[in-house]
Amino acid sequence: MKKVELLFPEFCNIYGESYSVEYLKKCNSEIEVVYTNHKDVPIFVSGEADMVYLGCSSEDKQEKIIDILKKYKEEIQREIEKGTIFLVTGNALEIFGKYIEDDDKQIEAIGIFDFYSKRYMRNRHNSQYVGKFKDMIMLGQKSQYSMAYGDFDDYFIDIEIGIGMNKETKREGIRKNNFYGTYSLGPYMILNPHFTKYLLCLMGLEPKLAFEDEIIKAYDYRLKELRATLK
Amino acid sequence: MRFYIALWAAKFAMFCYKLMGRERDDRPGLLATKICPDFLTRIHKPKLVITITGTNGKTTTSALINNKLRESGLTTSFNDWGANLTAGYSLNLMRCVNIFNRPVKDASILEADELTLDETMTQICPNYILITNICKDSLRRNGHPENIFKHIDRTLKILGNKTKAILNANDPLSSQLGLESQRVYYGMTDIGAEPFKNMVADIAVCPKCSGEIGYDYRLYRHLGGFYCKDCDFKMAKAKYFAKFVDYDNRKICIDEDGEDKIYPLISDTLFNAFNVLSAVAVLREVGEKSDDISRFLESQKITAIRETCVEFNGIEYYAYAAKSQNVSAASTVFEYMAKEPSDKNVVLLLDEVQDRNHPTETITWLYETDFEFLNSDNIKKILVGGHMFLNHKLRLLLAGIPEEKIVAVEEEKDIIDYVDREGIEKVYVLYEIDCLTKAKNMRDAIVLKAKEVYNEKG
Repeated sequence: MKKVELLFPEFCNIYGESYSVEYLKKCNSEIEVVYTNHKDVPIFVSGEADMVYLGCSSEDKQEKIIDILKKYKEEIQREIEKGTIFLVTGNALEIFGKYIEDDDKQIEAIGIFDFYSKRYMRNRHNSQYVGKFKDMIMLGQKSQYSMAYGDFDDYFIDIEIGIGMNKETKREGIRKNNFYGTYSLGPYMILNPHFTKYLLCLMGLEPKLAFEDEIIKAYDYRLKELRATLK
Repeated sequence: MRFYIALWAAKFAMFCYKLMGRERDDRPGLLATKICPDFLTRIHKPKLVITITGTNGKTTTSALINNKLRESGLTTSFNDWGANLTAGYSLNLMRCVNIFNRPVKDASILEADELTLDETMTQICPNYILITNICKDSLRRNGHPENIFKHIDRTLKILGNKTKAILNANDPLSSQLGLESQRVYYGMTDIGAEPFKNMVADIAVCPKCSGEIGYDYRLYRHLGGFYCKDCDFKMAKAKYFAKFVDYDNRKICIDEDGEDKIYPLISDTLFNAFNVLSAVAVLREVGEKSDDISRFLESQKITAIRETCVEFNGIEYYAYAAKSQNVSAASTVFEYMAKEPSDKNVVLLLDEVQDRNHPTETITWLYETDFEFLNSDNIKKILVGGHMFLNHKLRLLLAGIPEEKIVAVEEEKDIIDYVDREGIEKVYVLYEIDCLTKAKNMRDAIVLKAKEVYNEKG
């Protein structure tokens, strides 16, 4: 069995993103999902997770998650170096940066990656992207109050259309070994079926998707629509 | 002086729009605030200003409150054309004064957007604010429920004791608003609602200690008799407390400070029972008599914008509002589709018109909304069209709905050919709230096709 750890679902399912993991479970019966409550010790700490998923949360909950995960900074770094898969979406990505600015407040984050983010609570940003990771065309949809700033040498996606970590960059997300982080919501694995296959391969599983024909058709249609309309 | 220029210019514009038959156009209100940015502060308010906000139930509840006050002989101004932002409020309040800014109406009823409340209601200072509930709403605009909470709470903090907050005791989220305000609660007992479990919780942990929220009983979504498993956080005591709901006889019994009062319901749904309950709470607070309210409610029905029906050859065809990206409303309607026992076809016209300005819609809301509820024996077919058809089909399949029950076509107009014309009792066209005309056109086209086929068969 492959263990996929869904971190803090009670905090991190504000936009239905946990369905990524539910979908993964439907793809392969070898996948066991471990739902970790914020009061419990995550299983990645003891090295038991094959994949860790952390989704978007409200700003208050994001700060609580930072407090929790700070305790496990070394273990997170160890797992990233080891090649454990991490998928981090939405503002959860900010947790792994250096700090988050919110008006006159600065919230210290875990500090694994060299970037910071800034909240603009009166200005919600909505956009979509088309980009490239390896030979895959990646689709994203952003709906967020914050942007991230830095050099992003370890970026995940090369944006072709749309914005990256902020409006001035085409570099989107963070990638180091098998750590994949993006501001995009999704559910990301539904939005990007080829990437989902890629993750299944990384876990050593057959790259077969649930309702594969339908999800690929929906992806192709969306890609065509975005290419025709996105500027 | 600037205020009077704004008032006169906007009044003149209002007059012109009236001549053009566009009384509901809120551009005169927009003009007023452009000329005078603090127009809402300066304009004279009627003696009674009631604001109705919250994620769901605003329109129906506002209409009930407004209609009752009018029946009582009060002159009211009501933004019932859906203009629930600054321009709409300006127009609403302009109708309450003459050109000298002197009052000409008794009351203003303001259906209000939650997100901008702290910028607008703090200028208007209403006497009462009803907050129906806080649930998940449009991702693009509202973000998450905690964000909405903060906007409303900030408003109540600024208003202080000038405004009485009327709150839903069953909602663990909105019931925590206005800790420093005058607060009155309404609530409901366990009526055996047995709601389906939603895939996404609007509030998953205790706002005080992050503990798990438990329920003695649930009503719908996160509403119910709640408590925290780890601390003293629990449902507040309600001044207006529904003791039972009798759908068969369409009655609701409300305990008002120890005295039972019976009121008619306006439909057989729980969310409309809540609408009646909250409207009663407001009306009683402003001094309306319970017997009068009860008599008035006998004549009230769901507003046409929410539900319209025509019948042909033994099948009832409904256009029924569902609000797509408002996941709480869509899920609640899906639950109703399953629980309303008739055999039916369900047509989904849920593409978000407000996304027309964006290249394509997000799919996020599909995975927060309980499409699983549509997997019910009495729902014989689910039909969906439009550019999101493949996303809908995938979501329906993932919800466990058999493929043979799903019709997904690219062109919405093609849906008409696939609707059953026998073996069912009802057809529901579920539509995004801004698309009433489109929904009625679809419903009417389905009926027309049914008539054609019927006539061909002789």
